[in-house]
Amino acid sequence: MAQSGKGKLNFRCPSCFIRDIDVDMFYDEDKKEYYCLRCQYTGTEEDVLAKNELVRLRYKDMMKRFTSFEF
Amino acid sequence: MSDFIVNIIHRPELAPEYAEKVTGQGKKDDIGRSSLLDESESIFRFQQDTAHKNGLRTTIQITYASLFSQQIIDMVKEDHEKYGDEIALSLLGLPCKQFREKYKTHDFCIWMFSMEQKKQIVDDVFGKFYECFGYYPESTGSYYMDAELISYIKEKYPTVKCAVATCWEEGPKAYHTCNNSWYTFMDGGPWNPWIPSKYNTHVPASCKEDDSGIVAIPHLSRDLMACYDGNGSNFGTHPQNVLRGMIYDTKTWEYPYLYNIVDQYRAQEKYNNGYSYNMMFVGPGWLNKMGRWEAPYELLKKSYEDGMAYYGKLKSEGKLKDMTMAEFADYYRGKKGYTEPEVALWRDILYGSDKQYFWYVDPDMRVGINMDQGGAIFDLRPYAAKLNIPVGIGTGNPTNASYPFLIQDKYRAGYFTHYAGEGTIKSAKLSYGGEEVDLCLERTKGHYSKEGKDTILTLDPVDVRFADFTIKLQTKFTFTEGSHRIRIDRIVVDSTDDTKKVHLNEYITACYGTNEYSEDMSSVKLAVTDGKEYKSIDYEYLDRSDSLKGAAAASAVIPPVNTKVSMICEDKEATGYVREGYAFSPMFSLGFEKDLSKGEVFTTWLSLEKAN
Repeated sequence: MAQSGKGKLNFRCPSCFIRDIDVDMFYDEDKKEYYCLRCQYTGTEEDVLAKNELVRLRYKDMMKRFTSFEF
Repeated sequence: MSDFIVNIIHRPELAPEYAEKVTGQGKKDDIGRSSLLDESESIFRFQQDTAHKNGLRTTIQITYASLFSQQIIDMVKEDHEKYGDEIALSLLGLPCKQFREKYKTHDFCIWMFSMEQKKQIVDDVFGKFYECFGYYPESTGSYYMDAELISYIKEKYPTVKCAVATCWEEGPKAYHTCNNSWYTFMDGGPWNPWIPSKYNTHVPASCKEDDSGIVAIPHLSRDLMACYDGNGSNFGTHPQNVLRGMIYDTKTWEYPYLYNIVDQYRAQEKYNNGYSYNMMFVGPGWLNKMGRWEAPYELLKKSYEDGMAYYGKLKSEGKLKDMTMAEFADYYRGKKGYTEPEVALWRDILYGSDKQYFWYVDPDMRVGINMDQGGAIFDLRPYAAKLNIPVGIGTGNPTNASYPFLIQDKYRAGYFTHYAGEGTIKSAKLSYGGEEVDLCLERTKGHYSKEGKDTILTLDPVDVRFADFTIKLQTKFTFTEGSHRIRIDRIVVDSTDDTKKVHLNEYITACYGTNEYSEDMSSVKLAVTDGKEYKSIDYEYLDRSDSLKGAAAASAVIPPVNTKVSMICEDKEATGYVREGYAFSPMFSLGFEKDLSKGEVFTTWLSLEKAN
């Protein structure tokens, strides 16, 4: 079994992120996948990036520029 | 003419707290390795140059490591001469080879050291600063500065007039976000600058005798809703925190949320006598060349440049005043009186909810009101108690610098609980014919006004529907400067049936603590009185209650936080009550009840006092 390390960027676990926990994932060279030390999430870089886009669904006004802050 | 003041702070860390751990994975712990030192220096230079390019002055918080670097000392002296940057002294960036060799510890948070070591470190860094610059600094800071530490610094180094002294709502939420490994517990303070009390840093000083001698500023200007409701680490005037929260478009690298935070802070001048404030303080670890989590260096760099460019644009349009920390301290003391409150009316700018919070801070209390729950008080801190809570090794309390709450609707539930029991909240229930409606389920909006010493929050009326009729109820909160009370008016402005009376139960359910887990309530004493008759319950988790028609006050004395919280009523037709909790619901409730019809107003006051 290969020793795990970090990838070129420190991807966080998207499953933990969505519950407000920042946990760096480690990379398993044999399985070519990132995995979380805290939960059961595993995924390729493509899968991590896709799940990170899902995380953003909660930010409905992420791209909105507000000009007034009163009701 | 309004003022939007910005403090921009940089620290040449030379051993960035994040770079060491995050980019050093797979390397043996070596805080003095040359690649880290070179990178840190170039990050600091980049930050300084970016501010200056945009016409902004900075406060340079010199770190312990930098005091051993002639190159950094020469560099900051030059920036001071050329741009007017202030050279200040940070107690935040302590870790470096020299510090570890001298103090033989990996600890780095100044408030967590023993008092003896705090003094030793302060004397060491202030002494070295003097050796390097020939004078003592006017500004200092850390994530948190405890009252004893501020007192010592002010007494020994009276030139100090400003300090970064807390990070708003950095507490259990930050701990959880960091995989339960980030021990910065400092919930419960002001979000904007204040003059700290001598007794507790979170508490604004009430008078000259209570004045710690410094003006405190927060570490960052944080989103007053997102940081309370969720992870506090992603939502503030810190471009890389916004990236940390993934609040940007991955294709265009745009992040309007960052500018929305700045602008919403600017908008607070309407509620604060024409004054608003921002603080940006990005540590060098957030700009390291290897990137930070998913964000490559190019994006980290762009976000910092964009943040500075926005402040620079506002300055060029005459909408922003950049000040150094020391300049700001002078400005603040000229602008604000001791008892003048800090107020914020804050809306959701990220999740698309139209949710709105009102925040209020004065020397007696910090209060949060949620318009999305009918104007329920969801956070209440009894500053009137001026709790002295020593923190650090040897005090029996090594890390917890949070100011206790009586209400915190995330840590101790709010309106909604599972299966049984109650959560902390201050609200009202209306009932008729077996039906009951809590105002927590009535979404509304609030509006600010000021009348003399009164800060008033007026809510839009809500429709409370029963099977037989509907009433329109309006709520008004009045905070009178220096009164340690909140007046709450509930007004039945309309009804579909003038003949019917609705039963109103004005209540507070509270406890005490600094985190999610219940404390021992056994010392709490409840009482209801009309001035002649006195009924009391000593808390034993027995689910008891008592009431008194025509009561003047229902109160709870909470010895562990030295606080007396009361509900007061002058209406002799009302009935006051107290209610004990039980083990599954370790709370207490105080309240007043009365029947109301159209046109009637029910007035109560919530009062906070030091218990002894």
